[in-house]
Amino acid sequence: MTLGVDNRAASSRAVAWIRRVQVASVVTWGLLAAVVLVNAMVQPTFFTLYSITSTFATFVPLVFAAVAQAIVVIGGGLDLSIGTIVALSSVVALKVMNGSDALIGVGFLAALATGAACGLVNGLLTAVVRLQPLIVTFATASVFGGITLVVLPSPGGAVPPAMTQGFRLAFAGIPVPVWCVLVAVLIWLVLSRTKFLRHVYAVGGDAQAAYASLVPVVAVRILTFVTAGALAGLAAMGVLANTGSGDPFIGADVALDSIAAVVLGGIALRGGRGGAIGAIAGAIILALVTNVLFFLNVPTTFRELASGLVIIAALALSVLTTRKGVVR
Amino acid sequence: MTAATTQRAGMPDRLRSVVRNPVVIASIIAIALVVIGQIVSPGFGSYNQVISMLRISSFLGIIAIGQTIVILSGGDGIDLSVGKVATLGAIVGARVMDGTDANLAGGILIPLLVGAAIGLVNGLGIVYLRIPPFVMTLGMLGVVQGIILAYTGGAAAGRAAPFLTELVNTRWLLGAPGVLFVWIILIVLVTLVLRRTRPGWNLYAVGSNRTAARLSGIRVNSTVIGAYVASGVCAVLGGLLLLGYTESVFLNLADGYTLPSIAAVVIGGTLIAGGVGGYLGSAVGAIVLSVLQSLLTTLNMPASHRTIVNGVILLVLLALYGRQRKLRS
Amino acid sequence: MPLLSMTGVHKRYGGVRALDGASLSLEAGEVHGLLGPNGSGKSTLNKVLAGTVSPDAATIELDGQPITIGKPRDAAARGIAAVYQQLSLVDSLTVGRNLTLGVEPTRAGFVDNRASAAEIDEVLERLRPGLGPGVTATTEVSSLTPGQQQLVEIAKAVLRRPRILILDEATASLHRDQVQLLFEIIRELTAAGTCVVFVSHRLEEVMTICDRATILRTGRTVATLTIAETSESELVRTMVGDVAQAERRAELARTDDMVLRVRGLTAPGVSDVDLDVHRGEILGLGGLQGQGQSELLLALFGATPIRAGEIELNGRRVANTSVVKATGNGFALVPGDRGSQGLFMQRAIQENLSIVSLRRRLLAALGISMRRERGVAADAVQRLSIKIGGLDDPVTSLSGGNAQKVVIAKWLLNEPAVVLLDDPTKGVDISAKAEIYAIVRELADSGVAVILNSSDDVELAELCDRVIVLYEGRIRTQLVGDEITSDRLVAAALLIGEGDQGTVDETVAAAPDGSDR
Repeated sequence: MTLGVDNRAASSRAVAWIRRVQVASVVTWGLLAAVVLVNAMVQPTFFTLYSITSTFATFVPLVFAAVAQAIVVIGGGLDLSIGTIVALSSVVALKVMNGSDALIGVGFLAALATGAACGLVNGLLTAVVRLQPLIVTFATASVFGGITLVVLPSPGGAVPPAMTQGFRLAFAGIPVPVWCVLVAVLIWLVLSRTKFLRHVYAVGGDAQAAYASLVPVVAVRILTFVTAGALAGLAAMGVLANTGSGDPFIGADVALDSIAAVVLGGIALRGGRGGAIGAIAGAIILALVTNVLFFLNVPTTFRELASGLVIIAALALSVLTTRKGVVR
Repeated sequence: MTAATTQRAGMPDRLRSVVRNPVVIASIIAIALVVIGQIVSPGFGSYNQVISMLRISSFLGIIAIGQTIVILSGGDGIDLSVGKVATLGAIVGARVMDGTDANLAGGILIPLLVGAAIGLVNGLGIVYLRIPPFVMTLGMLGVVQGIILAYTGGAAAGRAAPFLTELVNTRWLLGAPGVLFVWIILIVLVTLVLRRTRPGWNLYAVGSNRTAARLSGIRVNSTVIGAYVASGVCAVLGGLLLLGYTESVFLNLADGYTLPSIAAVVIGGTLIAGGVGGYLGSAVGAIVLSVLQSLLTTLNMPASHRTIVNGVILLVLLALYGRQRKLRS
Repeated sequence: MPLLSMTGVHKRYGGVRALDGASLSLEAGEVHGLLGPNGSGKSTLNKVLAGTVSPDAATIELDGQPITIGKPRDAAARGIAAVYQQLSLVDSLTVGRNLTLGVEPTRAGFVDNRASAAEIDEVLERLRPGLGPGVTATTEVSSLTPGQQQLVEIAKAVLRRPRILILDEATASLHRDQVQLLFEIIRELTAAGTCVVFVSHRLEEVMTICDRATILRTGRTVATLTIAETSESELVRTMVGDVAQAERRAELARTDDMVLRVRGLTAPGVSDVDLDVHRGEILGLGGLQGQGQSELLLALFGATPIRAGEIELNGRRVANTSVVKATGNGFALVPGDRGSQGLFMQRAIQENLSIVSLRRRLLAALGISMRRERGVAADAVQRLSIKIGGLDDPVTSLSGGNAQKVVIAKWLLNEPAVVLLDDPTKGVDISAKAEIYAIVRELADSGVAVILNSSDDVELAELCDRVIVLYEGRIRTQLVGDEITSDRLVAAALLIGEGDQGTVDETVAAAPDGSDR
């Protein structure tokens, strides 16, 4: 008889939980649908192949950065240096490729390696030296940003033409930038089946419990940042393909935007919950909001305030909808 | 055992505690940097040059007042919006003053109120919406940037009131400008508030242990919100004095002050976890950073390298002071 | 040859000896009970075995071979798994992922879900009667009841196929049917040769499931008994030992002057509690640890929301809706964990002493006169004979007893009318303990109403005029005056219907009003 009460309590709580999760994802997908709808209304050409190509092309970098940030946040950390890792990886790849189509593959490797190396620095400082991720990545952001300026002091340089042209093509009827987003989804789906990512969730959810369950917490934390760094490297290639030249200041807004995308995607900042698919949706929402503001003819000077307020509102909304989970 | 401890607390112990005091260490570093500068580039350590470096330090030092208070309040407290808020303060101040002393009072008060309002929103979001401080203040950074663009329409207008410019740029007493005396008064005042008033002691208590503070009948929420309001006000004050220095205003005037403000607090020995530290240390930390910047500039080090050095210094100091506990050690 | 033997296990926490040469010998295929009163060291001994506490000295032999266990990983490698009350589940993950956490089967780095699914389903099916129909491998752990979580935790340990399984108060949050299920599983395990170490505060469970029991007292092993040859009352006698009757406080002339009157108090962890404390009286809270004593004190202090009930202080109703209000109403709480709840460890002793009563001595409602603060603090240090280096030293420089005295002193400076003490002598050495007793008595004598929660039955017997025994947040029974003895407290706490103590049903209904007796 006590068991019956037990079960009812449990199932009602389970229902409440499911509702909460659905609220989180309903918010994400609802916002996405709303933004697409509004965008289609204010921009009649929205669904043309050309328009889809150029819209997707602009947010490919943020999509990869959001996946990177999502992994770190799920693991209970935070990476404020993602933006400058993107910038540094992009200028290193730019220099390595030197405008030559033959070196694109090497460029990819260089960007990945640079990103992963930056991530390794972050990972060692947080997991081994045991400093707060927030301040560590804030400080390394400064270091990586400085190194970026050393590599490429001012905007310029030429990206191999095959990269920029290829980015605007369609493959099997689907624009390449859309393929890139699908690749980001695929990378996430593959990663989420690994033991490593299982452990990332556990460490982010409760590091003590994970440690007691023999999860190698320190190694997982290091690898989390390395993975995020490598993904930031891919984001850097997206930046180069989209802009066609190098810019050492490119990553300025990426840190905040990637965190906003993660929050919009329903990933709890406490860690342990959510998935990068939501963060990808979040990144697309953010990019489309900017698009909408453009086509609504909002004065340029108000655009940043509007997107800032959207981000704050999204943060508050996300925190409020998951609040019961926090207090419990 | 305690008796023995008391006896041993003779000269060597006291000396050791003085030598280990972060404020002392930071002061020694500052002096050493000046000496090195003088060796590398004669004239670097001259009286006028030192006064000039102190003047530059005062802007960072005043912005760091708020950062110190926020970090002392604990709970992962940090304010990543101080640089932007200082910029906004300078922009609003310049527009209101419009280059005349007649508008001086409004040109100072209105920006300070704006700073207080931004700090209040930060504090409310952190305490009642439970948004982590860095997310809240980082988000606020974006909003303030938007406000700046919307308010200025992309081009800043106005000028500092002559009085303000004079305060910062004209030698007043002992060859030093008024701003240095303003800073000294603030150092004394802030230290007094922290060490000799109830809000100050409550701040340390809240930063040291929030649960114990709550169970000691301290209003924890008001204390935390107050800390962020103070941070907004101090950031604007720093921005206004910087406006006096530059006379006219740019859209990114004080944006770069956020990282150094945190670094100054860490150099000054305030624990990033909260509850331990003080403002004098942060002030000396601000001097160390400014002298270092001057030295690197003198050495013709480009801005990019200086950014790297800033980040590395912060990391090294954190590794020395700010390590967290091991899992189940 | 025993499966495992531990001898000469010593462990000290600061000045407190948790284990003082304890020993334990386990046979394969047996259920071995580990018993002892609060603070006898059974948890510490378990943790040494599981590798989460490293002992100061110990000899451990497995299959006759000496081994060392320094980390949880060492214990796991030797086939030792432990289940504690404090769970090792990750709340935000599903049941299935928690069950295999750390030991996920993989193929080329990818988690092989199919390999573990069958095993997971099997164990969940086995637990089905206890888990209920709704729980599957994909249910998130945070949505489970404490009882269900406990079962999952047990399943997690069982899935690792241990040779020795430690269940430390694993039945505390289980319902009767779930306990039965657990017993069935334990019997299956032991039939297959596993040794189960079983710790429970419910003696009838120990009598039911255990083959043998080792009894600890103050960190030493006093006996290992065969359960079939012993009785519940003999177990209690062995646990309590021949304690010299505590020296009781001189009977005070009871006044009818009621200071604190509480009716129907219901708050998180507390149900429908009535209390009366007279002027100068020390009211004790007894029972097993974690039965709502701390929660009751926190609710009285306004630190947790009161759902129902009323509090009267000196005949006037007070609303302790927040700590600030309660403090203003003259309440003081010396919390259970002085490190995390009572002290500002890195701050100076001076500040810790002044912080609560600072308001009373301000200059112009803001400024602090250091001369005044020092004077007040020095007085308090002297009055409570706190041994300190200097007032400016941080609290971290103090021993446990002196740190606790700082917590008490900071409240005394606020001149409270009601003092709530939550296990004030936990982890405090003998001499400081005696001094704290003297302080508490002096407080009561000066007319303050004192409520004292203690995990130490001797302490309750020595200090209290009345003791209320709590069980699951409710008042179970009340002992007055000479009735307060160690064995009656233990018996009452363990729910043994002995002597003139009532059953649960009676005592919940009875008004615990001492003056009516």
